[in-house]
Amino acid sequence: MQSETAASPGRPGEGSPSRGGKDRPGRSRGPSFEARMMLPALVILAAISILPLLYIIWMSLNNVTLLGGTGISSNWTGLGNWGRMFADPGVWAGWAAMVIYFIGTVGLEMILGLVAALVIHEVVWGKNLAFSLILIPMFIAPVIVGLLGRFLVNPTYGLYAWVLRESGIYSGNILGGSVSAFVAVVLMDVWEWTPLVALITLAGLVSIQPQILEAAKVDGASYWERLRHIVLPSIAGIIIVALLIRSMDALRYFDIIWQATNGGPANATKIIPLRLYESAFRFFHLGYAATIGLLMLAVSILVANLFTGILRQRGLLR
Amino acid sequence: MSTGARFSAGKIFPYVLLVVLLLWTLVPIAWMLLSSFKSLTDVLSPTPLLTFKPTLANYIGLVSGGNNVLTYFRSSILAAGISTIIATTLGCFAGYGLARSNFRGKRHLAFWIISTRMAPIAAVILPLFIGFTFLHLINTVWGLIVAYLSFNLPFAIWIMNAFFADLPPGIEEAARVDGASNFQTFWRIALPMTAPGIVTTAILCLVFSWNDYAFAVTFAGPGSQTLPVAASQLITQTGVDWGQLTAIGTVVALPMVIVGLAVRRYLVRGLTLGAVTGE
Repeated sequence: MQSETAASPGRPGEGSPSRGGKDRPGRSRGPSFEARMMLPALVILAAISILPLLYIIWMSLNNVTLLGGTGISSNWTGLGNWGRMFADPGVWAGWAAMVIYFIGTVGLEMILGLVAALVIHEVVWGKNLAFSLILIPMFIAPVIVGLLGRFLVNPTYGLYAWVLRESGIYSGNILGGSVSAFVAVVLMDVWEWTPLVALITLAGLVSIQPQILEAAKVDGASYWERLRHIVLPSIAGIIIVALLIRSMDALRYFDIIWQATNGGPANATKIIPLRLYESAFRFFHLGYAATIGLLMLAVSILVANLFTGILRQRGLLR
Repeated sequence: MSTGARFSAGKIFPYVLLVVLLLWTLVPIAWMLLSSFKSLTDVLSPTPLLTFKPTLANYIGLVSGGNNVLTYFRSSILAAGISTIIATTLGCFAGYGLARSNFRGKRHLAFWIISTRMAPIAAVILPLFIGFTFLHLINTVWGLIVAYLSFNLPFAIWIMNAFFADLPPGIEEAARVDGASNFQTFWRIALPMTAPGIVTTAILCLVFSWNDYAFAVTFAGPGSQTLPVAASQLITQTGVDWGQLTAIGTVVALPMVIVGLAVRRYLVRGLTLGAVTGE
C-alpha cells in the first residue's frame, strides 16, 4: 500500500480520468469528485486556520487591547512588539524553562516508554490487562492530572508528600521550592504521557519478526546484544515517530503546569505558553502575546516539517 | 526440567518491573478513586487512610446545590459531541478525497492540514478569541465547537486519509466496473470497510475535546463551561475541596478511559497520525 506511482492500479485520481466507466464525469466538467469530497472540510479548515493565522500576524504588528466586554482597540506599532519580545528577560526565561521542561519530560517519557514497552513485550502472564492498565493515564484530562498531582504532593495531606517525608527523602513543601516544583511538574507530565510512548514503541516491537530474534538466541546472543543489534535498530523509525508526536504535544499543551503551579514558585515553572497566556488574558497585551505565539507557531511548524519528512521516508505520505 | 530453570531470574525480572510500572501508574488513580469516597475529615487526614467509612457525599455534592456540575456536564457533552460528529463526518469525506487524489500540490495541502493540528493551543487561542468576540461566540457552546474543530477537523481528515489509503484497491475497482458511481463506491464500499477507523477517529476526537481546558476556560461563560473548568474552579482562595475535586476528576476521567481502551487495537494508528500501523 505504499506505492508511489500515479499509475498504480486502484488509485483512481485525477491522473486517470477515464477509469471508472460512464458514471464518472470527465475532467473538464468542473472540480473532480475528489476535490468536491474535500471541499467542505477544507473551506471550514481555511476559515478556522488561515484567517486566524493572518489575524495573529496582524496582531503582532499592533498594540491590541480589550475595551470593556466586546470592544477591541488597536494601533499600529510595526515591529515594536518584536523588539520588545527579544529584549524581554521574561520571554527568554520562559523559553529556557520550556527547553528544560521539554528535555526533562520528553526525554524521560522516551526512556521509560521504551522500557515499559520492552517489559510488556516480554511478559506473558497478564499481558493484556497490564497493557490496558498502563495506558489509562493518557486518557485523563491534563487538568485533572495537574490537580491530582497537586493533591498528591500537598505538604499536609498529600499521599506522595507523606511517603517522601516518612522515608526521609524530602520533607519540604514540594510545590514551594523551585527545583522540587519543577521536578514535580515534569513527573506529572511523564506520568500522563509515558503510556503513549509505550503504546507506539510496543507496536514496533510486535512488528519485529520473531524468527530473527530466535535465530540470534540460538546463536547465543544475550538479551542486551539482541536489544542493541536487532531490536533497537528495527524500531528506530518508530521511536522517532513517538519522539516527534510527543514533541508536538509538549509544545501544544500546558494544562498540567497551569493547574499544578501556575508557573510558580517565583516563575520557576513558567514555560512560554503560560507567559503568553498571562500577557494576553491577565495584562491584556494581546498584540504582544500574538508575537510570542507566532514564534511558538514557527517552532511547531518546524516539528511538523520533520514529521511529514519521516512519513514520506516511511512511504506513508505521497 | 527443573523448576529452577523455569523460574530463573531472567523470567521473573520483567514481572518485577511490571509491578513497579503498575504501581507508578495506578497509585494516583486508586488514590483519586478512594479519596472521592472519603468524608472531608478523612480526605484531610495527615496520615493517609486506607480504611475509612465510604460516603457518596462528594458525588452528591457535585449534583446538588446551586452550582452543580450538571450544566457543565451538558456543555461538555454538547461541545465535545457535536464537534466530534462534524469533524468525523467531514473528515471521512475529505480523507477519502485526499487518499484517492493525486495532484501536484498534494504534499503542500497535506502539510497545511497537519500543521493546523500541531499549532500550539496558546497561539491559536488569541486570534480565535478576538474573532469570537466579534462574532458573539464567546460564552456559547458553538464557540467551543468551532474551537474544537480547529484541532479535530485536521486530525479527522488526516487519520481517515490514512485508513482509506490502506484499503485494498481491487474492491473499489470492481464496484466501479459493476457501474457504481464514485460516490456509491465511497458510501457503500469504502466507508463500511473503514468502520474501525471511523470509530477510532470519533473516539479520539471526543477524548481531545472532552479533555480540553485552555479553550473552555478562555471562551466559555457561565452557560457553556465544561467539566474540566468546573474541576479547576473548585480551587479557590479560601481552600480546596479535595473530596469533591477527586469526585469530579473521576467523573471526567472514567468515560474517556472506557471509550479509549475500547479501541485499543487502533489507538496506535490514530495517535501517531497514521505513521505507525498497529496490531
